[in-house]
Amino acid sequence: MFHVEHQKKVQVMSGSYFEVIVVGGGHAGVEAAGAAARMGCRTLLVTHQLDAIGALSCNPAIGGIGKGHIVREIEAMGGLMGRAADAAAIQSRTLNQSKGPAVQAVRIQADRPQYARQIRLQLDAHSNLQLFQDAVVDLLVEGGRCVGVMGRSAGVLRAQAVVLATGTFLAGRVHIGGVNYESGRAGEPAANQLANVLRHHQLPVGRLKTGTPPRIDRRSINEETLAKQYGDKPRPRFAPFAVGAEWQKALPERPCLVSYTSVQAHDLIRSALNESPMYSGAVTGVGPRYCPSIEDKVVRFADREKHQIFLEPEGLDSNELYPNGISTGLPLRIQQEVLHLCEGLERAHITRPGYAIEYDYVDPRSLRRNLELEALPGLYLAGQINGTTGYEEAAGQGLIAGVNAALQIRGDAVWVPQRDEAYIGVMIDDLVTTGVTEPYRMFTSRAEHRLQLRGDNAEQRLLPMAYELGLVSDARWRQYADYQEQLDQERARLQATRVSPQTLTPRQQALLGQGLRRDQTLYDLLRRPELDYEAVLAIGDLEPSTERALALGRQLEIEARYDGYLVRQAHENRRYQHYARAPLPQALDYQAIEGLSTEVKERLRRTQPPTVGDAAQLPGVTPAAISLLLVHLRRNGWLRLPKEEGAGD
Amino acid sequence: MATPEGRGAVAVVRLSGPEAFELAGQIVGDLPEARYAGLRVFRGATGEVIDQGIVICFPAPHSYTGENVVELQGHGGRAVTRALLDALRAVGARPAERGEFTQRAFLHGQMDLAQAEAVAALIDADSQVARRAALRSLQGALGEWVDEVASAIQQIRAQIEAELDFSDDLHEAGEETDDIGPPLESVRTRIRSIRQRTVAGTHLRHGLKVALIGVPNAGKSSLMNALVGSDVSIVNELPGTTRDVMRERIGLGEREIELQDTAGIRAGDEVGAVEHEGVRRALHAMDHADVVVLVTDANTPLTQWERHVLAQLDPTRSVVVRNKIDLDGALPLSARPTESLTRFMVCDVSALTGSGLDELRERLHELVAERDDVEPLAGEQRHLEALDRADEALAEAVRVERLQLGREITAEQLREAQLVLLGITRRDDNEALLDQIFRSFCIGK
Repeated sequence: MFHVEHQKKVQVMSGSYFEVIVVGGGHAGVEAAGAAARMGCRTLLVTHQLDAIGALSCNPAIGGIGKGHIVREIEAMGGLMGRAADAAAIQSRTLNQSKGPAVQAVRIQADRPQYARQIRLQLDAHSNLQLFQDAVVDLLVEGGRCVGVMGRSAGVLRAQAVVLATGTFLAGRVHIGGVNYESGRAGEPAANQLANVLRHHQLPVGRLKTGTPPRIDRRSINEETLAKQYGDKPRPRFAPFAVGAEWQKALPERPCLVSYTSVQAHDLIRSALNESPMYSGAVTGVGPRYCPSIEDKVVRFADREKHQIFLEPEGLDSNELYPNGISTGLPLRIQQEVLHLCEGLERAHITRPGYAIEYDYVDPRSLRRNLELEALPGLYLAGQINGTTGYEEAAGQGLIAGVNAALQIRGDAVWVPQRDEAYIGVMIDDLVTTGVTEPYRMFTSRAEHRLQLRGDNAEQRLLPMAYELGLVSDARWRQYADYQEQLDQERARLQATRVSPQTLTPRQQALLGQGLRRDQTLYDLLRRPELDYEAVLAIGDLEPSTERALALGRQLEIEARYDGYLVRQAHENRRYQHYARAPLPQALDYQAIEGLSTEVKERLRRTQPPTVGDAAQLPGVTPAAISLLLVHLRRNGWLRLPKEEGAGD
Repeated sequence: MATPEGRGAVAVVRLSGPEAFELAGQIVGDLPEARYAGLRVFRGATGEVIDQGIVICFPAPHSYTGENVVELQGHGGRAVTRALLDALRAVGARPAERGEFTQRAFLHGQMDLAQAEAVAALIDADSQVARRAALRSLQGALGEWVDEVASAIQQIRAQIEAELDFSDDLHEAGEETDDIGPPLESVRTRIRSIRQRTVAGTHLRHGLKVALIGVPNAGKSSLMNALVGSDVSIVNELPGTTRDVMRERIGLGEREIELQDTAGIRAGDEVGAVEHEGVRRALHAMDHADVVVLVTDANTPLTQWERHVLAQLDPTRSVVVRNKIDLDGALPLSARPTESLTRFMVCDVSALTGSGLDELRERLHELVAERDDVEPLAGEQRHLEALDRADEALAEAVRVERLQLGREITAEQLREAQLVLLGITRRDDNEALLDQIFRSFCIGK
């Protein structure tokens, strides 16, 4: 037997015993390893190329709307990504500044080598985390559990939990025009052996596609004619609370350049469509709707005369540019000609061709919420293997997989943030309940609690739990608690200071603008869009309370602005929670519930969730399924709702 | 049982479920071809002949419930029907619970929730107009209308969500959203129109509410009895939800109304606390009724209480009755302080002799028809609540836009409006929204 054979081999690293093994050194892998190590587990990170740890393998940008929110959450839980990005930034911007604070987010352009270095430094700071260079060729399975991996050189590597964050394109096939070949990411070898292992374990595997643009040499373009985009001053940060010299250093700034395609370029693309693998039928996988190839853009938005190309610098010491917006599977010759028909790129030299790629992913509906495979306990999957795309999405999953691997080893209960706690919670819920049909990327519109899930309150949402789990240090906790105390005091001060229409001075009148109809607290006044914290202090004749007052004030402005809307959402949540606590009878015959899919019935039967809320957490169990469950319980008189706590409001 | 129990020309028994064909076969022998009517003899467990009738088979999923369905049409009559039901029970069928067929149809995806509830309304429908409204809803009209509005909201959402999530992509193309106030208002107008029609539908089902108010000695109760007693189509007596309201349903033309006798207004002529209470109750009744009938005594001048009430009444939905017109002391209309009555439709009536009752009925019919002068849709209170909540959220969205409190807040209001409306047909939204965004805008650098 396949697996018995493995066990006969000598365990090479037998001197060391690991609790958690993380396979992969990408964004999911490093967050998983970092989290497990911070929680005190003896952790091994295995990757086929140690020098590739923390590589930004696609475009050199981190954050953005939705994605930047995830980076803030990772930072609040002591993760690596935010700090590394701050330290490697060669340009930082806050996006959506004309919109409300809930949808604003930071995006940075990173110096690739610096980013990788910053990740490596953080990993190296943990004495209970070891790195090891080897290719993982198989999983070690005993008694239905994953108990380690097989390294090509090392042989048996045992652990109590394994996080698979291989990231690279599983069973990838690259297409450039009519040329196609097996490949991993950006010239790396394809991970075929691992893909075969997953198939061997009968995991449900699907196929996705995506693409990249050709890279070009900065020296070959006409920079002078192109608009330049610089970052904000001062630079916004993902980790504003980070202290220490390392995090305060700033690299020099590099702008992005903006070019456009042209009508001539579009005509050329149209005439060459039959050579594009997406249109010739060579690629059948589903591509992401939010990241269409330039072929798709030209076909679907035929009336557009030009599309933007955002030229991102690859780093301080690199001459390469990443032309974001023109991913393509056209033949290299056409890629070259198309570029030459774009503004400022008339003589552009391609350093790496663009390509379309198809690859395998594991249907994430086969995962539990803690990202552990239902069919193979002890094995956690994180990142692109679950059908997601993006560094940030991968990192968020890695963190949760690492945390839960560590919790499993401690014998503690699973922890996964809920949809109203974190974008990471939204993502995991989407993945395990609805699965994916295209590479999954975060958008703020996916979060129905968007006004609550903000960048400014990531620490309030997640840091207390992170501290309880052991993800953040005592020092970080004290820093947070101190900030929180000042925030509470300042809020209380504003709530305690009233202004009254009867006693308004002309100066206050002028500051107020609109006037005052009734007694209001300064906190109430903060809700008015035209009044900021400073204005409100002036109206109340108050001085800033501390040096930090402005930062506190900004956060109070945001809070006050959304307060009324959040109260309403909280109420809806409570109503749901009411049902969530209703117990499910032990002997409930799920087969008898009409309308449920066979799959859901089977899952419920197997897992026997103790409450309706637990059932709702199961993969594949949709709100509609919960409604049917509730109807069934009620019809049979089995619905026992717990008593409402307190009088309610 | 598909037809009401009791005597009738035909009794229809429907059997639904995976084994419906096998069970029916034990009663009627070989079954006719699917969807064709066949004449068969119905036999009981011991082989005795019960009846002879028509048998039609509807194989799943092309049946009402989405399961195998057999329809047995026998002769009406209690004994025959009971024997048939007993025979069916003996071979393993069980009587359906109330609404179970419809519920099964819903669960098997044969109809959306709005349609399922329309079936319930159809079964309950007591008047011709109500039946038509229920049918229209059953054909999906309410669901379609609501879906249409929900998709109009989704269109606006796609625009502003794209702007929130992909501002960079849109900015370059000059696709920034303009004023969404007008499209929002147009959606609100449509919601209100659906709402009006659904209200008309609930009126048809539950009867438009007509409140009788007046001082105790004006003869309210006798008027109510006269109206109810003279009508053969009394449907039933609904239990009052509060102790002090008597309710009766009566037919009025092809519609139904619910008469409410708001007892408990015990105010005489004196001004003071008691009168205040009387006015308050009358106002409450007026607020909760569709049409108000103020019953006065034609033999006495208007009381101060009556004048208070008249000042509050809406003439477009009220009738003033001068009761006891048969008595000698009845004052002619011209002899009354008229200024407070000129705005109103006035009927001289004698509840005792019945004179003027037909005219009153006609006036009520006019008012009721006027108030329901829309194509009614069968809907439930739940639908009304959803429409109201959606409209409320949209109103807030309009306010947020006007005060420029933030598009992300507008977006959440629209999300709520759409989800609440989709709740009517229970369809899921998130993927559809993203799809609309990516179809409408060129996203992705």
